[in-house]
Amino acid sequence: MAKAIRRLDADAEVPEEAFEVDIVDMDFHVNPIEERLEPYVEDQRALDRLTTEFGMMPIPDKWDAAYAIEEGNEGLYTQGRAEVVEDVERACEMLAVDEPVVNAGLNLLPGQHHPVLKNAVLEAGNSYMLDHFVDEDVMTALSIPKWDPEFAMGELDRWGDEDGVVGVYSWFDPREPWGHTKFDPIFEKLESLGLPLLLHGSTAFWPQHSYVGDNMITWTEVLGFDWPVHTMVNVVNMIMTGVFDRYPDLNVVFQEGGHWWIPFARYRMDEFYEMHPEDVQITPRKFESGEHYLDRSPSEYLRDNIYVTTQPMALPRRAGEAKSMLDVSMAKDTFMYSSDWPHQTLDPPTWFFNSRAFRDDQELRDAILHENAYDILRT
Amino acid sequence: MSQTDSIDPAECTKVAEVGDIPEGRGIGVDVDGIEIAVFNVGDDDYYAISNRCSHQQAPLCKAGEEKINAEHTWTQSRGSVNTEECTVSCPWHLWKWDLETGVNEASGQRIGTFDCVVDDGDILVRI
Repeated sequence: MAKAIRRLDADAEVPEEAFEVDIVDMDFHVNPIEERLEPYVEDQRALDRLTTEFGMMPIPDKWDAAYAIEEGNEGLYTQGRAEVVEDVERACEMLAVDEPVVNAGLNLLPGQHHPVLKNAVLEAGNSYMLDHFVDEDVMTALSIPKWDPEFAMGELDRWGDEDGVVGVYSWFDPREPWGHTKFDPIFEKLESLGLPLLLHGSTAFWPQHSYVGDNMITWTEVLGFDWPVHTMVNVVNMIMTGVFDRYPDLNVVFQEGGHWWIPFARYRMDEFYEMHPEDVQITPRKFESGEHYLDRSPSEYLRDNIYVTTQPMALPRRAGEAKSMLDVSMAKDTFMYSSDWPHQTLDPPTWFFNSRAFRDDQELRDAILHENAYDILRT
Repeated sequence: MSQTDSIDPAECTKVAEVGDIPEGRGIGVDVDGIEIAVFNVGDDDYYAISNRCSHQQAPLCKAGEEKINAEHTWTQSRGSVNTEECTVSCPWHLWKWDLETGVNEASGQRIGTFDCVVDDGDILVRI
């Protein structure tokens, strides 16, 4: 009997069912080239001193992802380089992504030293994104500098109420977690603007030392486990210092910080807090307000105010095990799909269509693929 | 690969013609529900391997595709076909597969390979 032969569609890369579901990608990097960014640098003195692509010459980090990748540094552009809307649309079409939340991808900035030049590059990146994406009705997360809250407030004043800005992008690190009260004006402003805070991992921060361990020298250790530890440090710090009691409508999304740590933090936070909660009253916000305890159990803030992006999903192959992990991770309330295009850890939305854990629970699948995103993004 | 001496063309299925697949690139075909990637490694040598990377089901046939704004990247292509080593690197995460054995050395995993021959200008695969 003659065999049925069909040439495969060269454009579709993910299962056909993926094209039938609304997919929001919470972490899509645009990477404008230096020449396109330069005209947006406002101050000539800063422009004259920007010698490399994303700012001044970076000081080498102790670790580099390139060591682990056959293509070396090209790992940052494994899929290509999106510069304008049409590039983003081409990439999303292949992955069945309907709505990407784009950011300017200036992830090396936190590791740079000079505060004035860092701010100049960040500001230029935002101006570029306003012209090329916000004005083109693409959901965009503009950036604020964690290293300079005052400058961050200025940026929020400049574009915070622009239609098309759906979230605010910044970075997390373990040195100074986001629970510090110096960030309160930012939190207050974000609440009033109705914008979530998207915090991305960065391979570096100033000063450039991982506080987790200097002998961590492989990609698996550093990107795989350093960032989740940084994420947990920030999440627990924000919850225990009462950020969400003071700003209950603030939503924070941790990008690339892992997600399977949630059950650990969920139960451990509650256990420790319920055993010995008496130091909460002397954290700065509680001390000022005179409150004794948190308003709720720590894990309730984790469920209501914290979100994590799923890239890379790394789902157990057995559907039963996957389902259990999704349940204890409160995935329906906390997980958000992200691709991380165009980086080496790209995560197309295949898991949601290949695993029975999602095939049997479309409500969960839809929550992760779009509903949680629409719940918190300013759309 | 293209060794016609031990393979009966009558047992094979035509998937393309010589000239359809540029050197260093591949095509994807579905034969009775089985997805196969066929690569041209030069010198009239073609290899057929399962089209889906075992890691996350990426379509291997797209290895070597030009990146978006390739001129602003260094390696230009998503994944690649190494015609010297006879390997293909996945366009998503660069998992490297031996086209002859179907083995990925790092993980020890193996995907299906298929006999592939050229007969009278036709590229044939034995399923």
